[in-house]
Amino acid sequence: MRMAMQNQIQQAVVEISQLIIGKQREIKLALTCLLAGGHLLIEDLPGMGKTTLSHALARVFGLDFSRVQFTSDLLPADMLGVNIFNSQTQAFVFHPGPLFSQVVLADEINRASPKTQSALLEAMEERQVSLDGETHKLPSPFFVIGTQNPIHQAGTYPLPESQLDRFLMRIQLGYPSWQAEKAMLQQPMQDNATTIKPVLDETLLAQIQQSIPKVHAAEGILDYILRLVTLSRESEQFPNALSPRATKALLQAARSWAVVEGRDYLIPEDVQAVLPAVAEHRLRSALTDHPTQTSLSRILLEQVDPLAA
Amino acid sequence: MPRLNPSAHNKAHLLLTLVLLCLTGSLYQPLQLWILVLVLCSVAIRLSLYMNWQKHQISLRTLNLLAILSAIALAYFGWQLGLLLGMLNLLVMASSLKLMLLGSRRDYFQLVGVQFFLLGTGLVFQQNIAFSLFYAVLALMLLLSLAFHISPSTRFVTQLKRVGKLCLQALPLSLLLFLVIPKLGPLWQMPNAGSSKSGLSEKVTPGDIANLARSADLAFRATFSGAVPKEGQRYWRALVLEEFDGRSWQVHPYRSKFRERMQSSRFSFAPPVAGPTFDYQIIAQPTQQKWLYGLDIARSDAPLVYHSHDYQLISQIPLQSTFSYQVRSYYNTPLVAAYPGIDDNINLQVPKNGNPRTREWAAKLLQEHPDPKDYIAAIESYFTSNGFRYTLRPNPMPVDPVDQFLFDDRAGFCSHYASAMTYLLRLGGIPARMVTGYLGGEMRGEAYMSVHQYDAHAWVEWLSDTGWQRLDPTVLVSPMRLDFGLEQAVAYENSFLADAPFNLAALKNIAWLNQVRLLLADMDYYWSRMVLGFDRQNQQALLRSILGQLTPGRLALFGLAVVALIALLLGLYQLKQWLPHRHAPATRYYQKALTMLAAQGIERPEWQGPQDFSEVATAQLSPQAAVYFKQLSALYSSHQYRPASAQAQKQSLQKMRLLLKRLKKALRTAPSFRQQP
Repeated sequence: MRMAMQNQIQQAVVEISQLIIGKQREIKLALTCLLAGGHLLIEDLPGMGKTTLSHALARVFGLDFSRVQFTSDLLPADMLGVNIFNSQTQAFVFHPGPLFSQVVLADEINRASPKTQSALLEAMEERQVSLDGETHKLPSPFFVIGTQNPIHQAGTYPLPESQLDRFLMRIQLGYPSWQAEKAMLQQPMQDNATTIKPVLDETLLAQIQQSIPKVHAAEGILDYILRLVTLSRESEQFPNALSPRATKALLQAARSWAVVEGRDYLIPEDVQAVLPAVAEHRLRSALTDHPTQTSLSRILLEQVDPLAA
Repeated sequence: MPRLNPSAHNKAHLLLTLVLLCLTGSLYQPLQLWILVLVLCSVAIRLSLYMNWQKHQISLRTLNLLAILSAIALAYFGWQLGLLLGMLNLLVMASSLKLMLLGSRRDYFQLVGVQFFLLGTGLVFQQNIAFSLFYAVLALMLLLSLAFHISPSTRFVTQLKRVGKLCLQALPLSLLLFLVIPKLGPLWQMPNAGSSKSGLSEKVTPGDIANLARSADLAFRATFSGAVPKEGQRYWRALVLEEFDGRSWQVHPYRSKFRERMQSSRFSFAPPVAGPTFDYQIIAQPTQQKWLYGLDIARSDAPLVYHSHDYQLISQIPLQSTFSYQVRSYYNTPLVAAYPGIDDNINLQVPKNGNPRTREWAAKLLQEHPDPKDYIAAIESYFTSNGFRYTLRPNPMPVDPVDQFLFDDRAGFCSHYASAMTYLLRLGGIPARMVTGYLGGEMRGEAYMSVHQYDAHAWVEWLSDTGWQRLDPTVLVSPMRLDFGLEQAVAYENSFLADAPFNLAALKNIAWLNQVRLLLADMDYYWSRMVLGFDRQNQQALLRSILGQLTPGRLALFGLAVVALIALLLGLYQLKQWLPHRHAPATRYYQKALTMLAAQGIERPEWQGPQDFSEVATAQLSPQAAVYFKQLSALYSSHQYRPASAQAQKQSLQKMRLLLKRLKKALRTAPSFRQQP
């Protein structure tokens, strides 16, 4: 059973790697995030493959997918849907917007106005949409993959810390290596996600998600996580400290990573693997952000000995 | 106002209650009955609170009333008790009242403190091993109670371990303090009332010693250095009885007055002594009396021992606890009469009336044998030839006991023979007296001799030209008494310890029980000798053997050394807190491996996990070492973080140990080939 799950996950990684070459670790992190049931934020410069990755993820999970391109004039209704008066039935009928998909790609999320951003983030948290006094359930599973450009680029509204917190992970893709980029050039043109075969289905996804909380976390691991979190609170090096929600997120993500790695118990390396993705956007100040800065989560990581008792 | 119940399922309170109950039980003799009842009531109240049958404490008003009544009762009944007993009763009463009140932390700590004090007081009354152990257990229970007071939800076994560890740590300290703390004399006079006398008495009515002979209690022990007396020489003199009223023998009033006078003028009897000696130390059991034991002629240097003019050893103070003293016995020196006039005079007195047949017979005998030696021989032959028996079950002899014994019953115990013989000798004009003490003693290997109450004996001394001669008429009748002791002497009638069938001494014939009895005796001996017998002189001897001469400077240095030693011990106990934390074995093995690698120049960054580091390290190690380290890292990681059965954990630990050894070897034979970081 676990073997089957493990095979499928490996298969998914392989599938996506065909499209995004040389980014195994980022792909695994993205899978980890979605398996943990969290929303994912991909942050990078334009043209780095953000959209391709999110598209590939949706395909690989075999879920229905929609994409919302955020712009400064995008209104909440464009995303959530509208009530339209049907003159024949003399009643308002709800026309769901693109948000009513299992995987929603919110492209360039920081280009929309704060009003639209908060509408999206509210839907992410509640997993439902309220419109004119009516509540509409969003489909399940429901993942939002947000992409954003680095903040210093023109025409962006930075997401506030409170909303960044809603994303379980934030990953950066970064430039590919020499060999990877060369391989990309050598490949026949196929940056189209439609070539990817769905590897996982909804039942398997549900099984995997159920197995995640059962991953054994030894006391040493919990202590390690707490030492990390405590350091972020006590040290002056970090603009923002990690909240208890971040602590929970760290454990959840680490467990999910362990499942991706095919283990049913946590080791310190699991925590270390997900820490940059889980903690970085929570530690940073939202305004002074700069991706090339020394990674804060790295600083945090290198100050705590996982073996200390 | 009724107060809420702080004792419900409170183990600290329960233990404290039990300690008070046990303590009171062990002290029931010196305590007054109504205080015992009070204690029982308070224990019942506390128990019902513990079980939560009763949910409210007694109101303060009721308690105050009870306290006032108790105080009045104690003042009324207790004023004649004396300091020690009065204080003891007061403390127990106060504890029981406090136990009823027990609510706040302060009450609790006060009560615990008082219990510790009472434990110490209990040792004033009882000092043998069994009681000392019992009190040790009670002390342990009190400590447990404190432990439960501080951490109520910890499991009993854990608490026991913790307290046991503390006690073990305290043991060397207390041993040290026991050895070096100055021994002070008792601060108060021990009460004599209520403590039953045991052993011999100053008045003997023939038959009394037969009762004594049914007791297997210990009388004293002797440790010989050098020669040990043979069976026939073990006549332990205790008392000399010179006054006879026709029925009973007792210490002559003139003699005791004379002794008092001599003692108050510090005039000790010092007869000339010479010849071979027995040297021994005696540890006497408490008797509440002053006489001591010794083989003739006993001389002792011990400061509290007085030598009387009838060759007795007498202590200046009653024996309230075990008393040890060193004796040297000059067994070949004759016992000359100290003051011949006195000795002659009081040892010829006979009552004017009573025992007519004896007197008639003695007069006849004296006519036939005017020479004292002949006279004595005639009496002896009368004993040997007329079917006299030695018995522990003599008939009662209410009227003219000597007549009845000599002419009708012809059966009796040692005191009958000694009494009749002495009387006959006096009637024949030979000064004679009765001596009581012990005959015999059980040798335990080469180590020591135990003398029990059933060895009690009475014999005769008559004054010849050369001094007092011992004469034991009992032995004429029952030679076995001399050579094999009482048990063999009365074996024919099965009366040895017949009243105490389950006493270990009565069951001597069962081999393993006898082993147990001897073992217990050994333990008791060493306890008395080493612990109870460790007095001021022993302490000074010990100090002298360490320091040589006892100068103030040396003593001060010694005191400093002791304090330093105690500090050292305390430091040793704290060491674990001060030293860096000692890891669990798995971590220790892994850390050792890391140290080995670091010696090769491969260091783990502080933050790296074992799996990641093994990837880094194996790239730099020789292939063999790399394999071992990789396995070790994997094992460590799964041992630390993977849930597993204790069995599996143990196995992986074993594997880790093995791998560590191999890694060490591999690193020695083929060091790492890494050069660059």
